[in-house]
Amino acid sequence: MRQQGGSTHRLLTVIPARNESATVGEIVRRVRSVVGGEVLVVNDASTDDTSAQARQAGATVIDLPYGLGAWGAAQTGLRYAKRHRFRAALTLDADGQHHPEELPVLLDGWRRSGANVAIGTFPQRLSLAKRVAWRYFQLLTGIGVQDFTSGLRVYDGHAIRALASRKASLLDYQDLGVLMLLRKKGLRLHEVPTVMSPRRNGGSRVFSSWPMVARYMLHTTVLCFAQFGWRWRAPVRAGARA
Amino acid sequence: MNAALTTSIIGVLIAGAILYLVRRDHLHGSYALWWLAVAAASLLLSAFPQAVDWLGHITGIYYPPILPIIVAIGMILLRMLKMDIDRSRSERQLRRLTQKIGILEQELMEAKRAKASDNVLTADSSARSKTAQVIPLAKSGDA
Repeated sequence: MRQQGGSTHRLLTVIPARNESATVGEIVRRVRSVVGGEVLVVNDASTDDTSAQARQAGATVIDLPYGLGAWGAAQTGLRYAKRHRFRAALTLDADGQHHPEELPVLLDGWRRSGANVAIGTFPQRLSLAKRVAWRYFQLLTGIGVQDFTSGLRVYDGHAIRALASRKASLLDYQDLGVLMLLRKKGLRLHEVPTVMSPRRNGGSRVFSSWPMVARYMLHTTVLCFAQFGWRWRAPVRAGARA
Repeated sequence: MNAALTTSIIGVLIAGAILYLVRRDHLHGSYALWWLAVAAASLLLSAFPQAVDWLGHITGIYYPPILPIIVAIGMILLRMLKMDIDRSRSERQLRRLTQKIGILEQELMEAKRAKASDNVLTADSSARSKTAQVIPLAKSGDA
C-alpha cells in the first residue's frame, strides 16, 4: 500500500488498536479516502478480529505478540515510520472519536505553524476533572498544551526519530512523558482545534475511575519529578540531530 | 546450647545454602559475586560473633547487636533498588524486542506475498505466451 506515497510527501497514518473490530475497518477506509498514503494499524494483541478487519480495509497491519498499551503500539508505528523513512506520521485512535475527515484540518494547521508536532485537541470534551488535572500539569511542567492525552497527532521526521528512540520505550502513557521528551529535544508543539466525538465503546481508559485517576496523577507527577529541570534548559535547535 | 553456637549454625546454614545455589549456576555473573560476598560475611560473623561487639564499640553504637541488622537492611534496600533498575532495563528491552518482532513479521509477510504474486505473474505470462500461439484472440489485461 506504499505505492501512493511519492517521495515528496510520504505520510504514514498509524492507528493503534486493541479490540476495535467494530470501528477499525471503517476508520481505515475513511483515512485512505481522505488522506491517502499508507495506513498502518498496530494491533495491540486484540482478542477479536481487529487485525483481519484492518487488513480487509487495506491497511498494513502489525500484530504485537502481547499488549504493549496505547503508547507501546503507537511507538511501534513510529519505529516502522523511521525504518521506512516516512517524512511524517499521523496518529489517531481506532475507536471513532477522531474523525478522519478532520485530518486535513490538522495537517494544514501543522504545515502552516511550522511546528514539529501538531496535536488535535477538542477543548469542549474536557471534563472538570481533566481540566483540573491539566492545569496542575501545566503548572508543573510549563508545557502549555490544553489537552495532553489527545492521540490525534502529526509528527515530523525529527519527532519520529526522537520518539522511536529507546528513551521513549519506558513511557506508559502517550501524554506528558512524550511531550516532555519532545520538548527536551527542542521540538516545537502546536495545537489545532478539531471536532471529536465522545468515545463509542466506553469512556477513557485513564479517567474511568477515581483509583485509576489517582494512579495516573501519581505516576505522571513522578515522571515530571524525574524530568525536573528540563524546563530551564536552553532549547536545542529543532534541526539538530538528537 | 548457647547463643554463639546458634548464630554459627544459622550463619553456616545460610552460607551453605548460598554456596549450593551459586554452584548450581543459576545466577548471572555479578549476582553470584554478590551472594558469595553475603555467604562469606555470614560465615565470618558466625565464626567470630565477638566481631559485632568490637565493631559496635568502634562505631559508637550503644547496643552492638543492632549493627548487623542495620547493615543488613541497608544492603537489602540497595539490592532491591538494583533489582528494580535491572527490571526496568529488561522491560525496556522486552518492549523494544516485541515491537521489532511485530515489524519484522509484517515485513516477512509482505515479502512472502510479493514473492507469491511474482510467481503467479510469471507463471501466468508464460502460460499466456504459450496459448497465444494457438488462440490469437486471447483475452488480455486480466493478469
